[in-house]
Amino acid sequence: MSTLGGPDPVEGHTAKAFDAALSDLRLQIVGMGGLVIDQVSSAVHALLDGDADTAKLVLAREEKVNELERFVDREAFRLIALHQPMASDLRMAKAASRITVELERAGDEAKKIAKFAGRVATGEPQGPVLAVARFLRHMAELTTGMLRDAVRSLDESNADMARAVRARDSELDAEFAAALRQILTLAMQDARFLGATIDTVFALKGLERIGDHAKNIAEQVLFVTSGEDVRHKKKAAEAGTPEK
Amino acid sequence: MIDTSTRAAPESTLRNEEPARSSQPAAGAATPRVTIAVDDTRQARAITSVKAQVENLNFYYGQNRALKNLSIPIADKQVTALIGPSGCGKSTFLRCFNRMHDLQPDTRYEGSITLHPDNINLVGSGIDPIEVRMRIGMVFQKPNPFPKTIFENVAYGLRLRGVRNRATLAEEVEKALRGAALWDEVKDRLQDSALALSGGQMQRLCIARALATTPEILLFDEPTSALDPIATAKIEELISTLRDQVTVLIVTHNMQQAARVSDYTAFMYLGELIEFDEAAKIFTNPSKKATEDYITGRYG
Amino acid sequence: MAGLPTVPEYLNPDSIRTGLSRRKVLDQVFVIVGLVLMFACLGILAVLFMNLVLDGSERFGWDFFTNFPSRRAERAGILGAWVGTSLIMLVTAFCAVPVGVAAAIYLEEYAPKNWFTAIIEINVTNLAGVPSIVYGLLALGLFVYQFGLGQSIAAAGLTLALLILPIVIVATRESIRAVPKSIREAAYGLGATRWEVTKDHVLPYSTGGILTGMILGLSRAIGETAPIITIGALSFIAFLPSSPITSEFPFISFAWLKDPFTAMPIQMFNWVSRPDQAFQANAAAAGAILLGMTLLMNAVAIWIRYRFRKKINW
Repeated sequence: MSTLGGPDPVEGHTAKAFDAALSDLRLQIVGMGGLVIDQVSSAVHALLDGDADTAKLVLAREEKVNELERFVDREAFRLIALHQPMASDLRMAKAASRITVELERAGDEAKKIAKFAGRVATGEPQGPVLAVARFLRHMAELTTGMLRDAVRSLDESNADMARAVRARDSELDAEFAAALRQILTLAMQDARFLGATIDTVFALKGLERIGDHAKNIAEQVLFVTSGEDVRHKKKAAEAGTPEK
Repeated sequence: MIDTSTRAAPESTLRNEEPARSSQPAAGAATPRVTIAVDDTRQARAITSVKAQVENLNFYYGQNRALKNLSIPIADKQVTALIGPSGCGKSTFLRCFNRMHDLQPDTRYEGSITLHPDNINLVGSGIDPIEVRMRIGMVFQKPNPFPKTIFENVAYGLRLRGVRNRATLAEEVEKALRGAALWDEVKDRLQDSALALSGGQMQRLCIARALATTPEILLFDEPTSALDPIATAKIEELISTLRDQVTVLIVTHNMQQAARVSDYTAFMYLGELIEFDEAAKIFTNPSKKATEDYITGRYG
Repeated sequence: MAGLPTVPEYLNPDSIRTGLSRRKVLDQVFVIVGLVLMFACLGILAVLFMNLVLDGSERFGWDFFTNFPSRRAERAGILGAWVGTSLIMLVTAFCAVPVGVAAAIYLEEYAPKNWFTAIIEINVTNLAGVPSIVYGLLALGLFVYQFGLGQSIAAAGLTLALLILPIVIVATRESIRAVPKSIREAAYGLGATRWEVTKDHVLPYSTGGILTGMILGLSRAIGETAPIITIGALSFIAFLPSSPITSEFPFISFAWLKDPFTAMPIQMFNWVSRPDQAFQANAAAAGAILLGMTLLMNAVAIWIRYRFRKKINW
């Protein structure tokens, strides 16, 4: 069914190879997202349970995350060179590269947490970790939820879901602030495990950063769906006049 | 003036290095890729299945040497594109494949175009140009259907080959029209004049006409330069699907079209071959500065 | 106002307007001159035709067409004349068209483009300007005596065929040239030989032009008097050439080719030269009929061209 005056749209693009390349790209990003989400939750579990094997697994899979980033970047680049995408297709190709960078960095944070988990499993004091365990668990849930929704919103081109992810970032920040207060209180009372305390703070910060990466992914999704560039804008201000 | 020096060759990208793709291409877009073996010095290229090998081809219009020592493999069941500025000889080169130059006086070929698997030299004196044209088909720039019915247009090539049986003709015509993605649009009006079709349909009819005789190589001489964007897109998609049935050689002055449609691209300038490589390589990171200048639009 | 650059005289809108009205007047003048000249020519033709018709009006009737010439003007008719003219045209067409078309095809499709063929081409078009009586002399020596055809319909037909050959060749060449190169390329590209390209594409698509050329040639030939006088057309014959259709096997006879004959222009000339004023009317009537036949042939040529052009548009 065509709108007034325009040519009849077809299912997908006339150039089927282009169509295939574009949906491949999406699929690869979704796959990478799934991998990174798994990395994050595995790393946190390893930390909380003192599980050395899971930590090793996360570290081993980190290379795969990097490989996927290079691959998707190259495919997006090829898509632009060979198929000259326009409008939403062009935004998708551009956003693909940015999203994989965010995912790769999230993967790096997970790697760092896994390294810490490895040290805890081999003797580093676990006290500080246990003290904020509930925060760690909750933040991990929040942040993997944000990542999952961000990637899903890309897959489904769902702008509302992306906006919701952006909103949840403040919840994550609040959780981080509370965790920080808790651990600082503990550290001031008992300064024995300073090293582990600092590592734990880094782990909490890492989770907060992963949430930021998820938010950035959501912003890219909004760019793809509506053409708006909402990076670095306050969420409240964006409700008014959108700026392309 | 285009600088033809070679830039420092960056690392090559092999398909084999990439991580296994978990997705399947959409149905109908399956494109079996030929692997290219590249050594580090970027000297040797070995396309695994070659349909025609051009070896030191020279072509003369009278005293004028229009093509200079061209050597290039044409990969079997793949799309090879020829790009380059006006007057670089790409159409001249294309027309060597079906001996169209023989229709003009005072033309001369040197070197060879060896057609596999028969190993015959298409530009040699040992073969009749008419036989060459019966094995190699061509689609021209401006759609040129005969002022006959749609059916007769497609059937003409078959009639030339002595096919008279009405049932056979009807069957082959249908097959060719389906192959050219035109059957559904014309199946009820095969006896109408071909000139009543739109430009894009006419060009697809010309493609069907060429396909009807099952050519070994199909030559396209700027097939969409006279068409609007939608017709162009349909024909490009058609060329992509033809890849599975027939080897395609296409000349285009539209670089983006070459990027979209071809597997291998050759850049020509002033009758010489400057660079030949996989399309992805040429359009993302060509080795020769001349190619880069042309593709990016930096030519004087 | 000081400081502003002045607009040149010819860019000033006012001067553009006055200049324009002057130029448009000239435009109109040419249109009027053209129309006047055109109507003048048509008018002259109409007046001539009307004159003939009026002068010959008393003779029009079935008898006129079915009577032989006679000493009495009222009973003189054009039977022998129009039968003779028709048979001659038949022979002319039969000879001129195949030869002319074949020659044109050769010159256009097969002949190499060198100085020799250039000379041939120039001479072909020059032939159209040769005075027709020269053809008559040629025919007298060649067809009548050398070939022994005598003063017959065959000789007359061949003479006129020679006369209109250049017209047929040129018309055929023009219509062959009108077939675009792209069609030929497409046919060659499919593996056709040169003859197949000519037979399957060039000739069918130029048929309209060829027929037009043929009819134009015939309408010229129909009125040619000098050549057929030279080879000996009679002007008072009271018999028809032998019938082409006989009552016994093989039902077609070619005896009429060798028979003596007369033709419309001859008959007219004969009547006009008589002292008896009554025959002027006969001449006028015959002239009107001849003119009518010519106009009819031209109309048919135009109609054919129109019909063929509708089917094929490059």
